[in-house]
Amino acid sequence: MASIVESVLSKLMNKNVLFTVSFLVRLVLVSFGVYQDRTMVVKYTDVDYHVFTDASKFITQGQSPYHRSTYRYTPLLAWILTPNIYLSHVFGKLLFITCDVLSGHLIYLILRQRGLSCEAACRVCSLWLLNPLPAGVSSRGNAESVITALVLATLLCLELRQLPMAAILYGLAVHMKIYPVTYALPIALSLQRKENVEERRVGWWRKGLGFLLRLLNKELFLFAGVAGVVFCGLTVLFYNMYGWDFLQETYLYHLTRRDIRHNFSPYFYMLYLTADSPWSLALGLAAFLPQALLLLLVSLAFHTDLALCCFLHTAIFVSFNKVCTSQYFLWYLCLFPLVLPRLTLSPKQGVELLALWFAGQGIWLAPAYYLEFEGYNTFLLIWLAGLIFLIINSFIMVQIITHYKPSDTMQRLKAE
Amino acid sequence: MFVFFSTCTVYLVLFGSTQADENSCGLSMTWLETVSVTMDVSKNGFHRDLVTTVYFGPGFPDGLEALLVHRLPSGIYIDQYQLASLKEDTGLQVLLGSEVDLEAPAHTSEEFIVLVYPALDQGSLKATLPIHGRYHKPSLAGKRFELVEIKLPKLILRTDTCTQLISFPPYKIVDSPCTVHNLSICQWLEIQHQQEQDPVSLEIPLGDGSLVEPVCAGTLLVTLLCCAILSRSIWRHGVFLDNVILT
Repeated sequence: MASIVESVLSKLMNKNVLFTVSFLVRLVLVSFGVYQDRTMVVKYTDVDYHVFTDASKFITQGQSPYHRSTYRYTPLLAWILTPNIYLSHVFGKLLFITCDVLSGHLIYLILRQRGLSCEAACRVCSLWLLNPLPAGVSSRGNAESVITALVLATLLCLELRQLPMAAILYGLAVHMKIYPVTYALPIALSLQRKENVEERRVGWWRKGLGFLLRLLNKELFLFAGVAGVVFCGLTVLFYNMYGWDFLQETYLYHLTRRDIRHNFSPYFYMLYLTADSPWSLALGLAAFLPQALLLLLVSLAFHTDLALCCFLHTAIFVSFNKVCTSQYFLWYLCLFPLVLPRLTLSPKQGVELLALWFAGQGIWLAPAYYLEFEGYNTFLLIWLAGLIFLIINSFIMVQIITHYKPSDTMQRLKAE
Repeated sequence: MFVFFSTCTVYLVLFGSTQADENSCGLSMTWLETVSVTMDVSKNGFHRDLVTTVYFGPGFPDGLEALLVHRLPSGIYIDQYQLASLKEDTGLQVLLGSEVDLEAPAHTSEEFIVLVYPALDQGSLKATLPIHGRYHKPSLAGKRFELVEIKLPKLILRTDTCTQLISFPPYKIVDSPCTVHNLSICQWLEIQHQQEQDPVSLEIPLGDGSLVEPVCAGTLLVTLLCCAILSRSIWRHGVFLDNVILT
């Protein structure tokens, strides 16, 4: 029995087989979803997919997609999904599962670029490709796979030093979802000129000047320029088409979002109880500061390894954010396979940390279920569960940072 | 000829006077008194079903159309997109009086009107409306639940065959959309009843406003602690190559 499993697994780790199987699995899920939606009361398709499709319908009628209430995305997404109206309702889901498998392929390419063998890269990739979470999310019609593909493509282009392409993809990624804007600092730091920092007795202001001069170089200006043009170009285009609604729903809503309804964020209950109080603004700022400080520190500490840096960036951003839903987890899970090969944790430790992460979610989901679907007043328990989840996430991140074996170049530079 | 017409007139007058209790639309007073409305809330938590049933005695007129006019409180909301999907699945026919904000809390929302066209179900008319509780302001007095009361809907009736309703005290005539497609307005008869049933109510959990200080303090303490632990770990293992902090 064990030998059969082993032989199946080794055949699966062939690149072509792996990608074909993962695409077919997602295709089966999409088909099952269509069947379930037609025959059962509980639908497979996510509400978001209906929001996208309704918005696309407005576009085909020559109207603004923002006539669809709760459509809080770029108009580009509704435009891309217009074949949902013209061709088939299932087009969007097929697009999302394709982006999902593409994300897996980009992970494979980045791993190969970082020196992994084909077989090892396949094994790590399979953690994304055969993972039920991204497969389920994209087959249900969520658009997260589009943004994960864009972020991974940006990282791949940066690894290959294809800066114009990386900048275009980065501009597009930030336009679609705001969170990649936090990668700007690590990317800028990784593009600085590499010079030997020899003089150690120079004053701090001299060092600061040297640092700035190394940072503000031709490559950074090229990257910032191209990304800026793409982002601003798209913003101006859609502002002309849809006006203030576009800015409000795509960007401002997310930046000022104070969702007082229960979610994974540790700040949820505090924000709910102080929603109408004069302290609300000060507390919002107090919640922002730890997030900002940690993002700055991570950028300065790990910019030489962009994959680790972006992973920690997003994991910290999501864990310390004022609103956190399970869709956000995919933003850093797609980067985890890039970090995994250099972790010195044993498989047992890895499984324990994974179990801890799931336990943290379970501890939150239980009182949340009783609140929403049974009507018990479990607010205090949800608050405590949110804090526990933050502690668990922080612990896991500390373990990852502690057991990360940097690349040889990084180690040599650290030793100098 | 004159005798014939006068006889006819006498017969018409006599005939007309004995039919005083019947409206020209086939809705007779005696039958209308058999009509009753009950309402109930099923399920638990924030997502409930409002089930309204209209019972009536035998002999209901052909082409009877009923409309339930719900005035729903600000403490709950209806998802028009869910209704659109239910219309395809179960044939539920609902017309919303105004735009409903799906995300606003109760204290910034208002009452709204919902028109429900119930379907005939084994000799009675029944409609199941999915409703959702809004988040309410946290309570300062230790109250753990907010009671949201939903009054019984108004029932209005008409018949398909009817073109002109004649006023029929004590029932009054109102104008409302003829069907859920809202293409034209028809005249309906409003059936008023003694409130046989108290309003139904549902409990919505409330946050505890008296705990605001410990919650804020606890949240900030834990987040700052996690921030400090992570910062320490990043400081120890980071490769601060070219920055100015490291000497």
